[in-house]
Amino acid sequence: MIEFTNVSKTYPGGVKAIDDISLSIGHGEFVVLLGPSGCGKTTLLRMVNQLEELTEGEIAVEGSSIHDLNKIDMRRNIGYVIQSNGLFPNMTIEDNVMVVPAMLGWSKEKKKERFEYLMNLIGMPPETYRKNFPHELSGGQQQRIGVARALAADPPVMLMDEPFGALDPIIRARIQEEFLDIQRTLKKTILFVSHDIDEAIKLADRIVLLKDGKLQQFDRPEELLNRPANEFVSEFVGEDSVLKSLSLYQVQDMKAKLTLPEASDGLDGTVFKHGDSLRYVLSHLLHPTPKPVYFERQEGGLAGPISVAHIEAFVREMTA
Amino acid sequence: MNSKAVIAWIVKIAFWVVIIAFFWWTISNNMYAQILENPEQFAGLLGRHLQIVLISSSLALLTAVPAGILLTRPKFKKYEWIFVNTANLGQTIPSIAILALAMGFLGIGIQAAILALYVYSLLPILQNTIAGLKSVDPAAKDAAAGMGMTPTQILFKIELPMAASSMIAGIRTAIVLNIGTTALAYLIGGGGLGVWIFTGIQLFDNTYLISGAVPVTILAITVDQLFRVMQLFLVPKGIRKAQKAAAAT
Amino acid sequence: MGDFLSYLGRNYADIFSYTIEHIQLLGVSLTLAILIGVPLGIYLTTNEQLAATVLQAASIILTIPSIALFGVMIPILSLVGQGIGFLPAVIALILYSQLPIIRNTYTAINNVDPNIRDAANGLGMTTMQRLLKVEIPNGMPLIMAGIRTATVLSIGIGAIAAFIGSGGLGVLIDMGISRGNQNMIIAGALAISILAIAADFGLKKIQMKFSPKEIQ
Ligand SMILES: Nc1ncnc2c1ncn2[C@@H]1O[C@H](COP(=O)(O)OP(=O)(O)OP(=O)(O)O)[C@@H](O)[C@H]1O
Ligand SMILES: [Mg+2]
Repeated sequence: MIEFTNVSKTYPGGVKAIDDISLSIGHGEFVVLLGPSGCGKTTLLRMVNQLEELTEGEIAVEGSSIHDLNKIDMRRNIGYVIQSNGLFPNMTIEDNVMVVPAMLGWSKEKKKERFEYLMNLIGMPPETYRKNFPHELSGGQQQRIGVARALAADPPVMLMDEPFGALDPIIRARIQEEFLDIQRTLKKTILFVSHDIDEAIKLADRIVLLKDGKLQQFDRPEELLNRPANEFVSEFVGEDSVLKSLSLYQVQDMKAKLTLPEASDGLDGTVFKHGDSLRYVLSHLLHPTPKPVYFERQEGGLAGPISVAHIEAFVREMTA
Repeated sequence: MNSKAVIAWIVKIAFWVVIIAFFWWTISNNMYAQILENPEQFAGLLGRHLQIVLISSSLALLTAVPAGILLTRPKFKKYEWIFVNTANLGQTIPSIAILALAMGFLGIGIQAAILALYVYSLLPILQNTIAGLKSVDPAAKDAAAGMGMTPTQILFKIELPMAASSMIAGIRTAIVLNIGTTALAYLIGGGGLGVWIFTGIQLFDNTYLISGAVPVTILAITVDQLFRVMQLFLVPKGIRKAQKAAAAT
Repeated sequence: MGDFLSYLGRNYADIFSYTIEHIQLLGVSLTLAILIGVPLGIYLTTNEQLAATVLQAASIILTIPSIALFGVMIPILSLVGQGIGFLPAVIALILYSQLPIIRNTYTAINNVDPNIRDAANGLGMTTMQRLLKVEIPNGMPLIMAGIRTATVLSIGIGAIAAFIGSGGLGVLIDMGISRGNQNMIIAGALAISILAIAADFGLKKIQMKFSPKEIQ
């Protein structure tokens, strides 16, 4: 879907922002570009829609090199969201969201229908906000409008540069959830810049970790956490990487890996479902006055009681 | 009503009383005699006045706005500071000096007046056009480019609407100053309503003074107010509301 | 060019004394304008309704063309026998200076960081102490900017006032035009421009002195 082949970028001042990066991103994949400030995330992202020129190498989108595509046309087919949302203060919310469809010459009815669909998708009633202006919305609402605007013409690819960076942690967590839901239905190919490892773990199918313009590791979040490719990666993911990785695994993963004891009858404990995260389970086990913990079983009945030792065994298994 | 509101009202009323008293006094002393007795001459002077204002300020507008747009494009950005500094410096030079210097170049006559007023109106428009375009949020321009707007679309749909408020303020300043300065055009043989004002000064004749000065004043204030109203139409509603909201906090 | 230089050589003493006259006119009118405008601007921060009215009136006054204002003032001041000369010039300059001075003072005092104001209150300052020790010092750069605008404006209008007999550098232009003497006109125009540019520059330097270090 998106192919980076030996891509490098040197800015006119001489800064080598991207150094020989090759990546292959699949259809419908959610890839997070992660790394410390100044490592080249924004640059890499902006080279895809040609807001920055490549110095060396080649980027292809759906098989065609971006140089062969008309800049303007390709940008209209790629959704673009930036941190400071970049909403146009002179346009109403409806006009903002419908900028690209208007440029593509959509009919009035089609635009209206699309606007209503998108607003419902991001959980903002269309009639309430249609005639508002950007400054009349909260930061979180503006950010959601920025996402809706990028989705407007239903582009297969989305480029998002720290779209939720300016939000407070609670709002940010909520928007992340909402956006994941949206992504589950829409299945876009997404390149998403973040410098927050937790955000990356939560959202990404795969993470691209960069440092000084060089690729450090390109892998699934749990791999990054459990099998860091080098010193930098393990430092970046942090000392609590094990804890972080537990949030990526669910009860069903543990049941698949370990043979768990059969539970006897007459229980007074907490029962976890297949989809519950192991981090959540661990937090229960570490409670000062813990109740016994059980897992629900596919074939009926319960497994357990589960102890911290089980978690330890599972982690050892996963990082082996 | 509290005492502060009372004071505000008294001042407001006093302001109007002074204006009404002035008109009552000038009318009852027949100080508009020149207009009433020589309407053709008045029409001629007013027409000439408007002619100078219109020609010089439209030329200024047609030069300064495109120049301001050009100087904020990436290609010409490096020359911008020269023009901005010249415009800043130029605006400290008093209008009478510019008129006098223009006469030095072109001699006596309407051409010299138009040249001087053109140069004088150019500066505020250029300055405000550049300032307005430069104040446009770079994130908005970046988003627009990323969404596939052409540079022309970005200019007309994003930059100019967002700069409109500052640009119109510059045009307003330029034209109001222009109307007043045109009253000095008489000195370099340009004609206009200044003819009566200066005649009045030389002859110490109130009828000439008031018949010349009051129409010029009314013209300047009217045009100023017209622009205020125009701002409501030309500045996009979202920008106006945002400015208001920002001013309130 | 040589002609002009020899004109300057013969008349520099006159030009110098016109410059002094011009500066005197400015000195008197600006001092009075500041004495009126700054306290008024400060007072207006306590009365919003009055502020709106006064600022509007001042901005309307500023749109009145200067020569027209002189034209209107001559008949009025003639009633007290002062139609032309120094007095109408001073009054006009005071009137025109009000908008920049009042508006900047008003904005400066209003814009003082509410936290600083809170801190001053918290330290138990009286309203007067707060004004003198906190609000005016913090608002000084903006107040100075207003005074600077008023000064540059007044230099130009002062030149026009020469036509109603106030003296100053405008006299050179006035006489030059009536005698058809180009050199005189150019000397006047240049001297006024230089005065305006120098005043602008000098006051900008002073304004920067008042600015907090981090802005400089
Ligand atoms: N227009 C530019 N001209 C010159 N150098 C630039 C330019 N843009 C970015 N750089 C440099 O390129 C490097 C990578 O910048 P980039 O903006 O891609 O980093 P980033 O990973 O997005 O950082 P952040 O997390 O702070 O946004 C930095 O060293 C930066 O200083
Ligand atoms: Mg970045």
